[in-house]
Amino acid sequence: MIKLLFFTVSLTPAATLLGWGEGLAWPLFEGVRLTLDLTPLSAFFLLLLAMAAPLVALPMLRGTADSPAFVLFGLLLLGMQLLLLAGDFISLFIGWEIMTWSSYLLLLRSARTDLETAQSYILFNLLSAFLLLAAILVFYRFTGHFEIRTAAGLTDWQEILLALLFGLAFLTKVGTLPLHLWVPRSYDQAPDAFSAFLSALVSKMGVYGLVLLPTLFPDALAGLLGRLLDGPAAGYLLAWIGVVTSIVATFKAISQEDMKRLLAYSSIAQLGYITTAIGVGSSLALGGALYQALVHTLVKLLLFISIAGIVLRTGQRRFNDLGRLMERMPISFFGVLIGIIGLAGMPPLPGFAAKYLIFVSLLDARWLLLLAAMVLASTAAFVYCYKLIYAPFLGHANSASAKTATEAPWQYLVPQLVLMGLLVGLGLFPGLGVRLLIDPVLIALQMDPLGSPSWGELVTPYGGYDGVVLMVVFGTAFVLVTGLFFLLRGRMRRAGSPYDLSYAGEVPTAETPLHYGAGMGRELRRIPLVGWILRHSTQGFYAALVRQTRTAAELLSGFYSGNPQAWVLLAVLVFALALQASIGGI
Amino acid sequence: MHAVLDSLAMIGISYVMGFLFYGFYRQFNARVQRRWGPSIWQNLFDNLKFFFKSETLSHGPMFFFGPMIIMAGAFTTVLFVPFLKDSDWLQGFSASGNLILIIYLLVVGPLGNALAVGSSGNPYGVMGVTRGLTRLMGLEVPFFLGLGLVMLQHETTSVHAIMAAQHDVAHWGILTNPIAFAVILLPFIATQNGSPFDVVGAPVEVYAGPRVEFGGRLLGVLMTQNMMMSIAKLVLVVDLFLGGAGNFLILILKAFALFLLTAAISMVFPRLKTEQAVDFFWKVPLGLGVLGVIAAVWLPWST
Repeated sequence: MIKLLFFTVSLTPAATLLGWGEGLAWPLFEGVRLTLDLTPLSAFFLLLLAMAAPLVALPMLRGTADSPAFVLFGLLLLGMQLLLLAGDFISLFIGWEIMTWSSYLLLLRSARTDLETAQSYILFNLLSAFLLLAAILVFYRFTGHFEIRTAAGLTDWQEILLALLFGLAFLTKVGTLPLHLWVPRSYDQAPDAFSAFLSALVSKMGVYGLVLLPTLFPDALAGLLGRLLDGPAAGYLLAWIGVVTSIVATFKAISQEDMKRLLAYSSIAQLGYITTAIGVGSSLALGGALYQALVHTLVKLLLFISIAGIVLRTGQRRFNDLGRLMERMPISFFGVLIGIIGLAGMPPLPGFAAKYLIFVSLLDARWLLLLAAMVLASTAAFVYCYKLIYAPFLGHANSASAKTATEAPWQYLVPQLVLMGLLVGLGLFPGLGVRLLIDPVLIALQMDPLGSPSWGELVTPYGGYDGVVLMVVFGTAFVLVTGLFFLLRGRMRRAGSPYDLSYAGEVPTAETPLHYGAGMGRELRRIPLVGWILRHSTQGFYAALVRQTRTAAELLSGFYSGNPQAWVLLAVLVFALALQASIGGI
Repeated sequence: MHAVLDSLAMIGISYVMGFLFYGFYRQFNARVQRRWGPSIWQNLFDNLKFFFKSETLSHGPMFFFGPMIIMAGAFTTVLFVPFLKDSDWLQGFSASGNLILIIYLLVVGPLGNALAVGSSGNPYGVMGVTRGLTRLMGLEVPFFLGLGLVMLQHETTSVHAIMAAQHDVAHWGILTNPIAFAVILLPFIATQNGSPFDVVGAPVEVYAGPRVEFGGRLLGVLMTQNMMMSIAKLVLVVDLFLGGAGNFLILILKAFALFLLTAAISMVFPRLKTEQAVDFFWKVPLGLGVLGVIAAVWLPWST
């Protein structure tokens, strides 16, 4: 009964999206009103939420009903809807806080969450919330209202201050380097199904905020610091932050030995692409950012739910302890397969459309070095994608539980099938996604829509491609090749056992270590750049920061020698300086 | 009907050109090493021999489908590269694609085959795949940057438009954008799995490399797709830098000239370790690419 109720609750975002009529408004106190309204931008993110909520709720329904988790999940959904519908910053902040706290409490529901993870999660998210609060208050100070609309009449410095505060708040949520410290731990240790929601949806709220910024300050990116090549100079920095985040997170992902941690790092990397695209800021780039947000949501839901199924059935989460699950869990195998094809941005799945838009937007801005750096991140991603499918599903079973596992229960498989269908459909019809989902948002942001002549075609000023033709050609070629192969004479023989291998002239036995799970990618350390990245960690960065602060503090403490004469001299000096400054100021 | 005939012609041409070029390569290589070497038809004979093996060992369904995916990927790649310019023929479906799509299509097949290698359960095969992916990570950065310079020069990702802009010898990409050509040349050799950037194949003293478990007809499929894919890549570079080809004869001539250049480079350098190759790509070709970007975009007189 409570499960049914819970599932109904998970459908509320869909109901909100479909049933939303007029905007709502309540007077709060003098001159300030709470408003809720559905703009095309919030509708886009609400659609992601509406799609994801029931798909995540379904795996959570399995087993005995965990009523506190259900309640918290309901609260989380409520908070996120409030956040997205907010027409003013007060509602936005309330929604943000509800989201932060309910997700924190949900994270604590996992038996694996340790103190350090919980602390880093709440500290970084509170940092984000307080930065947001500060930004909102400064915004009120400058403009005199709380409404989320174009802020007129601000000086450049006011805009920079606001953009910095808002930007830092949202970038923390997105998990940009070096503010990502909480991401890998919490995604790893959260309850397995909830990790999907954290990675796919909660992080997208940061993206929502970042996309909101251009509506607040429409000419901020373009007008603030002038233009660099054919793009906004202010965005150039943001774009590099995004790309460096993707590169570092991608190499970290390759070196992980735990499936969920790998996915967490890959989330950071994928959201780095979105940050880059928002930095470029043209309509092509924002289209690419939204497309990437859409694809990333679908892909990460799919992957985290598939992995949750594996963890449920085997109890193992490390690459070393799995292997050869393809025959035991075929549907999960296809889930992960489609997921990594989308994650790697391979045609014909829609990940390619998103990458294509972002690449072309970088070309359009003539930021070629960024393009090269992004290609590095997205090519290196192939390695961890391969690791993600090889280590659990291929090779040799490396633990007793991997040898006896069975396919995941239907609560896990139904969302996977739905998501696979959505991904393949979007891959076939990239133009449909642009028409239905991307263009309305771009028009609302007063940018040129991308436009697409047909469902299958993705068109940009730099050329495009046709998803239907691509899929048909590839499919026909595949059928043709397989058919021709069977027409040839000769027979196929299945190897007698998995140990029937060409193995350096020896016959391997069950004891021979044949699984290459966790070791994959270890040799990458021999490449100087990659080795350097992997030897350093953000924790090291913070530790160095602490050391530097201590040293600076010690320097400062030299002034406080305990000698009263020195104190008096110092006081006089400060007073004189202050006097000078105030005279000069007047 | 036209599309079907055209596609079949493109697939046939790339196959024939593939085995002839590689037959020539073996002969050429032998002469440089003062051997007689096999006949130019040897690659065709080898390929057919594989296809008519009476028995093929398989390690399960995914092991079988991997080579099928890579073959389908090779067909698709060939069909998305325009072979001729200003012609209705040998175009395939290139009008529905673009340069970035082709670069990604080049890796779809190998990734599909990587699944097959993984499902064989041979760790040395997977090691080979990892090496291949590592090399890909190294070469793709300068390769893409070089092509990015070309796309920027012509402000399009369409191969047709880039080809059309090179209407005479003076406008060939290799002359109007020599830095881009220099940047992509070495990564291009690596995409062809040419020395000094090759990944060890199976038939060496240590069993390693993506193909270690494949034999019989499946190995034949892998060999065929490799030859066809090589031709697709050669034609792509001809389209981008050598002005494309007006007719079939010129196409063969230009592709062969390019092949000779890459073969000559391959022949005199021994293989690098994969990590060394990646480091090299990130230093020399990428450094050159960065200089190219500075010249093309950052300097005050650049447009």
